[in-house]
Amino acid sequence: MSEKNPNLSEYVLETRDICKYYGSLKANDHISLKVKRNTIHAIVGENGAGKSTLMGILTDTVKPDYGDIILNGEKVVFKNPMDAARHGIGMIYQEFMLAPNFSVFENIIVGFEEKNGAFIDYKKSREKVERICHDYGFNLPLDDLINELPVAMLQQIEIVKVLYRGADLIIMDEPTSTLTPQGIEGLFQAMRVLKESGKTILFITHKLKEVFEVSDEISVLRLGKYVGTYSPDSLDQQKLANLMVGREVILQANKKPGELGETILSVKNLSVVDEDNIQRLKNVSFDIHAGEILGIAGVAGSGQQYLVKTIFGLNKAAEGSKIEYLGEDITNSSPRENRAKHIGYVPQDRMGMGCDTRSSIWENAIMGYHRAHGFNPKWLINHKEANAFTDKVVDDFAVKVQSINNNVGSLSGGNVQKLIVGREFSQDNKLLLIEDPTRGIDVGAIEYIWAKLLEFASQGVAVLLVSHELNEVMELSDRIMVMYNGELYNGGKYGELDESALGLLMTGGEAKQYEDFE
Amino acid sequence: MKILNNLKLRFSENTGINVARYILSLIATLLIGIILIVANNADIGVAVRELFKGAFGSKIAIGNTIHWAIPCMLVGIAASVAFKSGVFNLGLEGQLYFGALVAACVGYMIELPPIIHHFACIFAGGIAGLLYALIPALMKLYFKVDEVISTLLMNYIAVLATEYITLLLIRGNSATSTQSILTPFIHKSAELTPIIKGTSATTGLFIALGIILIVYLLYKYTLTGYEMKMVGQNLEFSKAGGVNANKMFVVIFLVSGFIAGICGAVEVLGVNHRFIAQFSSNLGWDGVMITRVAGNSPVGVLLVSFIWAAFKTGAMQMERATTLNRYTMNLLQALFVLFISIDYGMLYFKYKAKKAREAIGKEEK
Ligand SMILES: Nc1ncnc2c1ncn2[C@@H]1O[C@H](COP(=O)(O)OP(=O)(O)OP(=O)(O)O)[C@@H](O)[C@H]1O
Ligand SMILES: [Mg+2]
Repeated sequence: MSEKNPNLSEYVLETRDICKYYGSLKANDHISLKVKRNTIHAIVGENGAGKSTLMGILTDTVKPDYGDIILNGEKVVFKNPMDAARHGIGMIYQEFMLAPNFSVFENIIVGFEEKNGAFIDYKKSREKVERICHDYGFNLPLDDLINELPVAMLQQIEIVKVLYRGADLIIMDEPTSTLTPQGIEGLFQAMRVLKESGKTILFITHKLKEVFEVSDEISVLRLGKYVGTYSPDSLDQQKLANLMVGREVILQANKKPGELGETILSVKNLSVVDEDNIQRLKNVSFDIHAGEILGIAGVAGSGQQYLVKTIFGLNKAAEGSKIEYLGEDITNSSPRENRAKHIGYVPQDRMGMGCDTRSSIWENAIMGYHRAHGFNPKWLINHKEANAFTDKVVDDFAVKVQSINNNVGSLSGGNVQKLIVGREFSQDNKLLLIEDPTRGIDVGAIEYIWAKLLEFASQGVAVLLVSHELNEVMELSDRIMVMYNGELYNGGKYGELDESALGLLMTGGEAKQYEDFE
Repeated sequence: MKILNNLKLRFSENTGINVARYILSLIATLLIGIILIVANNADIGVAVRELFKGAFGSKIAIGNTIHWAIPCMLVGIAASVAFKSGVFNLGLEGQLYFGALVAACVGYMIELPPIIHHFACIFAGGIAGLLYALIPALMKLYFKVDEVISTLLMNYIAVLATEYITLLLIRGNSATSTQSILTPFIHKSAELTPIIKGTSATTGLFIALGIILIVYLLYKYTLTGYEMKMVGQNLEFSKAGGVNANKMFVVIFLVSGFIAGICGAVEVLGVNHRFIAQFSSNLGWDGVMITRVAGNSPVGVLLVSFIWAAFKTGAMQMERATTLNRYTMNLLQALFVLFISIDYGMLYFKYKAKKAREAIGKEEK
């Protein structure tokens, strides 16, 4: 066996001519990739380039149509996902796979418990978990229940889980897309420690900055094909973006602050108290005008979601709050009423609230449109019109689909996001409430969605943009507000404050100083 | 005309898989049946012949099969409306009882011209089922009582309550055993006409087919149907999309109860011609099973109901003519449910993937 002698093969993993076809669509088209041992290897590519499919093949959750996997110099054929795990390949999924009502410890050992005869040896399992936590510097509350923990912690649990299962090669599919900047820093720290101790990491992301920050090698996929492997020193962000998309990409929004029109949305003293009686929003007030993009920056969980949901009518506002839309009181009116008044909504939780994976693409596309705009007659689904609308969204937003009758579940993550954004952007809305519109989207598509947003604003649409991507807020907003602990602070006009000043506001530092700003 | 054109089932890959699903399950069930028969020392030829004879062998046999298929279709579609939308209405049995009782009352208390009388009885039965379904729906909405539990318990209440009401109605006539707790016969004008003489295969068939067609059209062509489906698929998504989920929940519950009530009414008008206490042999549960097997699709409910009914009538004939008893058939029925639950789609795609691998392999050489 080769494990004993790491010099035997420089490459821990090699794929040879991996193919995966979905009908006529080539998700993976003869991909031959080599991954050096003990490196952090980034995999980048546009939405639908085949990254997740390739990773699925490596973990045997997707069966390849053709091609070989060479692990430690030897050809392997996996029988099932468990078998892949036994061969030392571990995957951190984008959507976490943890059982909410069980403890952290139970979630880590499940399926791979240390045995004492037929029984689970809890003591031995526990020692092993604790040793891993200690060795790699994770500080986990092993006895807490999963549903009480924040997202960044869940990800660490997933990492400890694959380490516990003996993973040598750890795959992370867009691990940073749900994390706060601090969480991302923590993750990178952990990745470096893992590398130091001899592990290899395959890392998928759409954020080019991250690629250059942590990776030792970068592989590019395009349209299911392998483009090449590069060293970060030989590239910069612009060159990498061009390689991914196959054309010149503009990485800046080039915003031109424009004329502001009448007041579209006016929020006064908005407070929200959740079911557990915790105050989530405290007396939040602001106006948005026609043609204005108001960006809300902030660390995830500062109350942004409550703000957007309450304006849209998915959450109750507390007594004394007032939300006015075009001079009309819409406090606590339903999403249905709000949609009919041309308010659009892009939710943060795209799989849970933004779409239904088990329904067809057209059924997803007409959601909201079906009532707000309606068909003729009002109560019938006009299939011709539904198809025309779906086609328009799919074409305008370059959603990569085979047929609009297929399920949304067959789309790649980024394409789902494009479909959702496209649906809300295509309904001549006057007010758009948007959360993280470019999460998990490739650079080419970000460029496109940013341009669309600016175009809409210039036509007089008012936009409330909540983003955890500070860069996005800074590039697009006419005015920035920072949410910290349920309160809003002034973050200045476009270009007024720099990243570090905003970052300080986001963490509550010197907030008072800016309170009377203006 | 356009609607008619669209109605034609397009023979897509999925339809193909579904057709194969039923054929394969049927064959597999029959094979196991043969083994059982041999183990029972019965003659296979005779048993199978009697089974088919019982189900389709004569005009009478076909009539009996249709007779059973009618309530199966109605209660099956009632269940599928609810289950497709994630509403667990397990109270079909209770709703059906009230539908039957009210239809019987309208049938014997009022005199009306024939066709009008049919519709009056059926509509009244439907409304009775609907009202009985309204109770658990409101309990869920206002008091958060899980509908699984409330509907289950309300089944018992319904069976006993209808029996009690019947007793009150026929006060004066003596009633000693449950068998004789029954309402007077309905007027001839309310009786459904047999389409096959000498059997209980009545025009109720057209009512059942009509309702299945309506439900099919509802899902395919109306926004209400679309919302009903989406609420079941992903509630959060539907809410964000502007669907009024609470209203939808009640609507679904009521539609399901309405159809269950109609099922009870059609049983009264077509078969017994009166309400008999405790008449239903767990029809409500047949509905739940049928929609499970049918994957909550209206066309599936139609197919499965006929298979269900054929098993039922065939089994009785087989019992009469051979040493086998009816429970053999119950066992086979359960097996059929099992076979149909196999994920044939996955098997098919695995097979296709294997073909694709081979094809690419050849191309490489
Ligand atoms: N089960 C499936 N059925 C049909 N097509 C599929 C299926 N899974 C993936 N695809 C298609 O294969 C292509 C590659 O998908 P994949 O998920 O690998 O993309 P990706 O590179 O991970 O994209 P993203 O960055 O958006 O996550 C996409 O066009 C997708 O629509
Ligand atoms: Mg992906």
